[in-house]
Amino acid sequence: MGRIFVVDLDGRTYKCKFCETPLALADELVSRAFHCRRGKAYLFNNAANITVGTLEERMMQSGMHTVADIFCCCCGQIVGWKYEAAHEKSQKYKEGKFVLERGRIVDGVESEFYIDTHPTMSDAEDA
Amino acid sequence: MGGVEHEDPPSKRVKVSSEESESFSNSSSLREPARCSLSDSMARPLESRGDDEVVGVKGVVKKVELVRIIAEALYSLGYEKTGAHLEEESGIPLHSAVVNLFMQQIIDGKWDESVATIHKIGLMDENIVKLASFVILEQKFFELLDGEKVMDALKTLRTEIAPLGVHTNRLHELSSLIVSPSQTAIDGTSDQRLRIRSRKKLLEELKTLLPSTVMIPEKRLVRLVEQALDLQRDACRFHNSLVEEMSLLTDHQCGRDHIPSQTLQILEEHSNEVWFLQFSHNGEYLASSSSDCLVIIWEVKVDGRISLKHRLSGHQKPVSYISWSPDDHQLLTCGVEEAVRRWDTASGECLHIYEKSGLGLINCAWAPDGRRIFCGVTDKSICMWDLEGKEVECWKGQKSIRISDLGISSDGKQLITVCKETMISLFGWESNSEKFIEEDHTIISFALSKDNRFLLVSLSNQELHLWSIDGSVILVAKYRGHKRSRLVVRSCFGGLEQAFIASGSEDSQVYIWHRVSGELILTLPGHSGAVNCVSWNPANPHMLASASDDRTIRIWGINQVNMTQNGRHSNGVCYCNGAT
Repeated sequence: MGRIFVVDLDGRTYKCKFCETPLALADELVSRAFHCRRGKAYLFNNAANITVGTLEERMMQSGMHTVADIFCCCCGQIVGWKYEAAHEKSQKYKEGKFVLERGRIVDGVESEFYIDTHPTMSDAEDA
Repeated sequence: MGGVEHEDPPSKRVKVSSEESESFSNSSSLREPARCSLSDSMARPLESRGDDEVVGVKGVVKKVELVRIIAEALYSLGYEKTGAHLEEESGIPLHSAVVNLFMQQIIDGKWDESVATIHKIGLMDENIVKLASFVILEQKFFELLDGEKVMDALKTLRTEIAPLGVHTNRLHELSSLIVSPSQTAIDGTSDQRLRIRSRKKLLEELKTLLPSTVMIPEKRLVRLVEQALDLQRDACRFHNSLVEEMSLLTDHQCGRDHIPSQTLQILEEHSNEVWFLQFSHNGEYLASSSSDCLVIIWEVKVDGRISLKHRLSGHQKPVSYISWSPDDHQLLTCGVEEAVRRWDTASGECLHIYEKSGLGLINCAWAPDGRRIFCGVTDKSICMWDLEGKEVECWKGQKSIRISDLGISSDGKQLITVCKETMISLFGWESNSEKFIEEDHTIISFALSKDNRFLLVSLSNQELHLWSIDGSVILVAKYRGHKRSRLVVRSCFGGLEQAFIASGSEDSQVYIWHRVSGELILTLPGHSGAVNCVSWNPANPHMLASASDDRTIRIWGINQVNMTQNGRHSNGVCYCNGAT
């Protein structure tokens, strides 16, 4: 699909579970107390490497909101949603923020146990 | 056929010429020609005011000025009699009687009289009087020296030139000539004359010194006409061909058919998405690279056909970047976070592989001397190698982000790279100084103009920003219209004198803008996948190449049939073929 443009995030990040693309910095985490149909979800100030879907009005537990689903820009999997507008004053703080579903992201810390997918350059080192 | 074209209103043509001739014939029948012979003291102001003070539709051309510059043009062309007749018939003298006397005195070499006459001209600025006097007396000085009248020359210098109190440095130079009058010596340090010059040249210089209302500048009418032609050419949004002659008889305007808009060839050798392509500097080759890990060198034949020359295999990753050496004899190719390979253009042989163990390379560029190469590395540093692979230098720290282009400035002293998400750094790699371009949105890619003085930056908000980077960094223009939301989509400069900007787009079209006006002039459909990269042939303004996810490369050109019919136009007007 062409060369997909991916931004590198410095620091501890949450990555897409399916393709490892970094989606948000741990520093940008606002709340762990969100929920979606599939389970827990985290609220972030900012997210990267996502494409935003179409806006729609959705009735959430906390009231009516204008949201758009967000997808990983590399593998296209749905990873959460973005709050565009909140109809109730008490929910306004969410506007412009992103929710990533816990079941669709992996914590950056776990990458320590992760096998390096970048192979070494010259054949000699493999042997 | 061709591109989706945008309607533009037909240009208005102001017929100044016929209106002028009307007003001339009117004025000569309405007014009695004033018998203003050349021996009168000063030009009398026009008796009647009103309509015939200005000519032309816009009312900004003063008749007196127009007649004077026409008279000057006639004299410049050598039509003395007609010039004199015009002065008489219109009653508008080219120069006042005093000025005519002055000019005659210069030609006759009557220096003292001419200096006296200057004071009679009625110049407001004392300084101009002094400067003009200086120049005249300087000529007198030289002529005396030339005639071996050294004592007289000295007297002139002391009693006439020095008291003026201007150009003291020049005064010293002149006095040194008395001491050592080696006429043939050419002073290397100053570009001032040390030899005598003709009186005609003196007169020309005086014309530049004195106000233009007093003495009409040489060939003023021709200069005005040249300005108009320049403006017409700049305003021509489609100007893309070297039209030999521009006519004065009609406004210059090219039709769209000089901009590549027809698919002339489809190249289908890649077996996967084509991500990058670039013409060589001399326009004789095209190199393309693909996610199939292959690089292809194509040859541009004299008749414009492109044919495959070499398939360069060896990379294990999709190849995302290519850089031609300054002399086009070699090529650098970079696999995504892999290695950089150097190839020989003529043989297709891989000459060297550059790697950094444990790390990947992300881009590559040649130093202007062709003896060293620069590469960005995945650890955010930039490395410089000599051709044999010895690492000469490595700049660590936040020098580059993971997906970044690499360029060199026009003086070869600055490395241009994306150092942060919204920032481009112009890094003086020898001086260690740094300049920055700051943007508000994420930077996707950039391209340099042929002379490396301009930078075209592609942003995540689907805008292209044009920056001037010669000296201070200034944002010059913005271009919009194309689509980009996920991919690295590239743009380029091109056309005659890089007058156009082209870009790929995720909607499978090629977009072309006029650089100076920012106007989107063409969109070219044809590809069936996102267009990732475009390259305009630097040696052929009529050839554009595009690389697409549909695995093909399209070569765009101008409508061949139309060109053979119309051929070269002597009046600079090219008609659009009307077909869309």
